[in-house]
Amino acid sequence: MDEWTAIRLPLWQLFAMVGLPVLALAIIVAVLKRVARAGSLEKGEPDWSVPHIEGDAGDSPLHRWDVRCKIVTILIYSFMITAIRQMPTAFVAIGLSCLVLVVARVSLAKVLMRLMAIVGFITMFLLVMPFTVPLKSGDTVIVFGGLQWLHFSMRGFNLAATICAKAVAITLLMEPLLATAPLPVTLEGLSRLGVPEMVGQMVLLSYRYLNVFRHEARRMSTGMQVRGFRKRTGLATVQAMANFLGMLFVRSFERTEQVFDAMRARGYKGHFPQQAELRLRPADLVGAGLWLTIGVALLLYDRIGW
Amino acid sequence: MHISDGVLPVSVSIGSYAVSVGLTVWSARRTRSEEMPKLAVMTAAFFVASLIHIPFGPTSVHLIIPGLTGAILGPSAFLSIGLGLLLQSLLFQFGGLTALGANALMMGVPALACGWFFQKFKGGTPSRQALVGGLVGAGGTVLAALILAVMLVTGGEDFFGVAKIALAAHVPVIIIEGAVSCLTVGFLARVKPVLLLHGLERAQGHPHG
Repeated sequence: MDEWTAIRLPLWQLFAMVGLPVLALAIIVAVLKRVARAGSLEKGEPDWSVPHIEGDAGDSPLHRWDVRCKIVTILIYSFMITAIRQMPTAFVAIGLSCLVLVVARVSLAKVLMRLMAIVGFITMFLLVMPFTVPLKSGDTVIVFGGLQWLHFSMRGFNLAATICAKAVAITLLMEPLLATAPLPVTLEGLSRLGVPEMVGQMVLLSYRYLNVFRHEARRMSTGMQVRGFRKRTGLATVQAMANFLGMLFVRSFERTEQVFDAMRARGYKGHFPQQAELRLRPADLVGAGLWLTIGVALLLYDRIGW
Repeated sequence: MHISDGVLPVSVSIGSYAVSVGLTVWSARRTRSEEMPKLAVMTAAFFVASLIHIPFGPTSVHLIIPGLTGAILGPSAFLSIGLGLLLQSLLFQFGGLTALGANALMMGVPALACGWFFQKFKGGTPSRQALVGGLVGAGGTVLAALILAVMLVTGGEDFFGVAKIALAAHVPVIIIEGAVSCLTVGFLARVKPVLLLHGLERAQGHPHG
């Protein structure tokens, strides 16, 4: 055992190696968050209780692709990316995802929002894994100053970077998958693939009322602020928030009855009228085949290399 | 905390998808079909609740409320949580694709366990219900954190360190969840006890029209 290469560095380099990248990342994330938020906000004050479900109308191969083919292909391809083990392949996958983004011409602000959502989770891997991975023979380790317990394992860093790259590669594909068709069409595609129709209906209903309740929650919180409530750390805040939550549930619960009665009064019998019409063309299948072939090639390259 | 794509081994992602689908089907069977639209509306309420941040020292914690979801919805909770995750991924640019099953397990299983525990031990008085609600709120979060850690550990011993940190990061959430759940259940027990009765399915047992 005990056959790893140790590189000794003074302690201050630890701060340079860990502190500076983290600081840089934090600043970049803060700036990007602002950009993403500014890019995704509409002009003027929209009516928050009315949901916006039409996908951005666009014309690209992904917009024209049959939605069933799109869902199946991207789902299988994402699992293939998950199976990648080598860092270079993972970065090739990011490159391919970027290519898809360019082809699909989706909103970059939305893509950024998706990336921001995973940044905390994957940064945890980048920060923790290099220091906690158990040592194996053949590893290269950087030891800082005289601190024997604090060693930075290159293998751990490599592993963490691979995981992050895979996460980013899949996350980049989410917008091309979900935002290149209006939501009802995507849901129709899901139901044609065997997902019960009720799921799609429930998504639409939840989305509708989610916006209503968000509106309501905002009104309640404005009322609390006007009466002098400020969020602080402490039991008083928790008590107020708990009552707030309870009130939200009570109001929503009473609303469910009214919504259901109103739906029945309008003749609801378990399904909504169909909106989308799906047709499968040969070109759709060719596209799916091509994409999956690329995925298989990527995996082969990952496992065998040439 | 959401598991992001590309972290879990393929076998674990596919396996958790399979188990989640099974549990969703079971959960849907336990919900009467005409209650589905109501469940969708309640899901919207839980979704909004999970957007609320509560300050904790220098940072803030956002609620996951597996305990409350379980206590109010009973066996339908898993369906509701799966729906919430799907919604988040479809429309809010948050949440993964391959990790969807794992995330559903991480939040849905604690909700089911909490629902069962709450119905079993809630007793009759509002103060006892509040106490059990608090226990369930904290316990549900502990369970979610444990499931997360176990899933991470399936990646091999290289992942032990990350799993430990992820567990530690949940400690403030556990405290807040417990306190909020306790007080919210107390509020509901006084204001609208019917919500805590038997889970959604039988709480609205009276026939319509």
